Amino acid sequence: MTDFLEMRGLTMRFGGLMAVDGLSFKVAHGSIHGLIGPNGAGKTTTFNMMSGFYTPTSGQILLRGEDISGLAMHEVARRGVVRTFQHSTLFAELTVLENALVGTHMPFRPNIFAAIVGWDREDRRGAEARAREALEFFGLSDLVEERAGDLSHGHQRALGLAVAYASHPDVMLLDEPFTGMNPEETRQMMELMRRLKADGITILLVEHDMQAIMGLCDTITCMSFGKFLAEGGPAEIRHHPAVIEAYLGGARHVA
Amino acid sequence: MLKPLMFLFGAVALIALPHGLSFSQQEILVFLVINILLVTSYRLLTLTGEWSLGHVVIMGVGAYASALLTKELGVAVPVAMFLGGITSALLAVLLSFPLFRMKGFYFLIGSFAAGEIIRLIWKRFREPFGGVRGISGIDPMPDFSLGFYSFDFFEPVSYYYFAGVIVLACLWVLWRIEKSPVGLTFHAVHWQDKLAQASGVNLRAYRTLAFAIASGFAGIAGALQAHYVGTVNPNSFDIEVMVFVLTWAIVGGTTTFYGPILGCVLLTVINEIVLRGMGFEQARPLIYGAIMILSILFLPNGLESIVQKFLPRRSTAKSDRKAEA
Amino acid sequence: MMELLAQTGLNAVYAASYISLVAVGLVLIFGVMGVVNFAHGELFMAGAYAVVALYADMHLPFFVAVPIGMLFVGMLGLLMEWGLFRPLKDNPLGGLVASIGFLMILQSLAVMGFGVRMEHIPPVTQEVWRITDKVGVPVARLYVIVAAVVLLSALWYFLKRTRFGWALRASAQDPEAAALQGISITQTARIAMFIGAALAGVAGALTAPLVSVNPHMGHSVIVTAFIVIIVGGVGSLEGAIVASVVYAFVHTFVTTFSDGVLADIVGLSLMLVVLIVKPTGLFGSADRA
Repeated sequence: MTDFLEMRGLTMRFGGLMAVDGLSFKVAHGSIHGLIGPNGAGKTTTFNMMSGFYTPTSGQILLRGEDISGLAMHEVARRGVVRTFQHSTLFAELTVLENALVGTHMPFRPNIFAAIVGWDREDRRGAEARAREALEFFGLSDLVEERAGDLSHGHQRALGLAVAYASHPDVMLLDEPFTGMNPEETRQMMELMRRLKADGITILLVEHDMQAIMGLCDTITCMSFGKFLAEGGPAEIRHHPAVIEAYLGGARHVA
Repeated sequence: MLKPLMFLFGAVALIALPHGLSFSQQEILVFLVINILLVTSYRLLTLTGEWSLGHVVIMGVGAYASALLTKELGVAVPVAMFLGGITSALLAVLLSFPLFRMKGFYFLIGSFAAGEIIRLIWKRFREPFGGVRGISGIDPMPDFSLGFYSFDFFEPVSYYYFAGVIVLACLWVLWRIEKSPVGLTFHAVHWQDKLAQASGVNLRAYRTLAFAIASGFAGIAGALQAHYVGTVNPNSFDIEVMVFVLTWAIVGGTTTFYGPILGCVLLTVINEIVLRGMGFEQARPLIYGAIMILSILFLPNGLESIVQKFLPRRSTAKSDRKAEA
Repeated sequence: MMELLAQTGLNAVYAASYISLVAVGLVLIFGVMGVVNFAHGELFMAGAYAVVALYADMHLPFFVAVPIGMLFVGMLGLLMEWGLFRPLKDNPLGGLVASIGFLMILQSLAVMGFGVRMEHIPPVTQEVWRITDKVGVPVARLYVIVAAVVLLSALWYFLKRTRFGWALRASAQDPEAAALQGISITQTARIAMFIGAALAGVAGALTAPLVSVNPHMGHSVIVTAFIVIIVGGVGSLEGAIVASVVYAFVHTFVTTFSDGVLADIVGLSLMLVVLIVKPTGLFGSADRA
């Protein structure tokens, strides 16, 4: 049986800098998988390769056995791998509902001729239903008519997830979803991710803060200086000598 | 109940409008109608966030194509007009390959260069484009009768009705596109192209689509103009005309559908009727330039921002808020 | 044949001289203020009309008329900075559109003041500096070449060796960091605008007796300047000068051996190719894109 999502010898070089060096790991279907490491470990670069933002210098990203490395971002998305963004990247000028409607672009592909003649009523209704469903999932139903840019920080994060969720993804790639959140917001966000998992969605999240994802992930991959360092369950990683060493060493460098 | 009445009233006003005007004002009215289509099509392109300086040349492509099709191949005028639009749209698809490698300022300059090259090609090649003097003696729209009204295309009023119907149909299509999921995707591409892409939107395809549609309707506007005036030449599509289009769009504002139309109508009225009527013939570009500067300085969101203050706020209209921000 | 080539080469040097004066000014303004000055061709035109008024109509000596014209156009630049670009500094598209408005005003003023017809300007000198029997440079053209070399060298010295120049380059690279260092952004913008406009003005003033002066002469000037700054890399002064030379040679040779319209097409195509292959231009740095 082929693996669901597998990185095989992923390498990214910027000029002389080796950002990611021969990274290999597997993500099991239906799991929450964390990718951690100290600053500059190459997490974000890996994330960007997986989402199609960068083309790897070498190596493969296999989704159900198909190599998706080097595909454009929208092509990766169309294969069911949808990313979110750090900060609050949203369509600030559009309403909450319209944001979610953009998220339904893939399941309800717009057709310009049908739109002009008015033969796309079914699709528009379906898209709106899906968008409202996604908003409800993330507790945003009361805010559908608000302008996205006016939302609170926490709601903007939730909307970012709702836009991704609206597209019926198989895999959601989350880029540092806990950054800048207080403990209460973090708790709520973790709850949302558990519900996504219950919905059958595989989640890969990149996090700098090791503690935040210990209670959430099934499996954690730790990298350091662009290389694979360790992998295992939260308990295993928490006590892994190499991981502790990397974080302490990293901390010393940062300070 | 109110809506059909408003439409009826609007239709009557549009039909009655030319009868209160002088002959030369009627001619201006025809150009105004054509220019409304031009500037509205331009706005569709700006929806995706790109500002082109080649739009008027693309309009000229439609004009040349339609003129040549009737003259050289004997195609019927209405068919040629439609094909003129198609030619412009196809050329836009072709131009999108080099131009959409650029964004923002580079796209602006690139579109300008592409437009100038097309104009120079018209100038350089006497066959079939007629060189600097262009093409003259273009077939007019043949007269026809609808029973209750006979179109005599030597009369500007007739051409006003004819062009008016075509332009209204085109505006309707443009309006439908904007209010559709396709239009929403154009907005998405403009505001956050990366997020749109992450949602599965093919950026290149959508930018090209907007460019092709905008160009196609500009081409139809060009064809309407060519068969009314009877001549086309490279200078009738130069950067100065582009400046007018840009001014209409900016003075009117581009966040709403009606903004550019408002700018076009108001500036045309000021320009042609007030200034010309008052004898400021030579100072017209000066006053135009001053209006442009003043409006960008003191009314950066365009005339539409004034209108929006008086309109009840609709919760679904995305664009209303920019003015308040 | 050799003589024709040599003569065409000399003509190209002359063209490169005034083109680079215009383009360097445009690049300076873009670099420091981040705005595309569409009215730059009309500043050139204003310089030419200053010579029409002072030299042809009022019979002042040519070399008095040229510096006055240069100063006058520099002042126009200050006016644009104060009236247009400073209030619109957070709105690059707005600045561009406002400069188009200014262009129309200048053009219209020229039409009202001097009429649409071509101006006749009495030649400054009929002398030709002969290199061989058949190859030579008219002295009036030599003035342009000398002025370009002197002014651009002076600008180079100013930018690289003086404190003001250092401030100018700093604010072109990173306005915020420059402001933190105590450099006044308004001040550097004023200087850049004055110099940029004055360079266009002096180019117009010096070439006035050699070209057909009319209110619409700015159009081909700005098209040429755009080509040059794109090919050279937006924001690179050295690139603008090199690209001016390249463009002048290509354009002059194609014009001489074929025709002017084809030369324009070749020039614009050159720019499109550069935009497609390397949008940052031949000398542009990647971070400017």
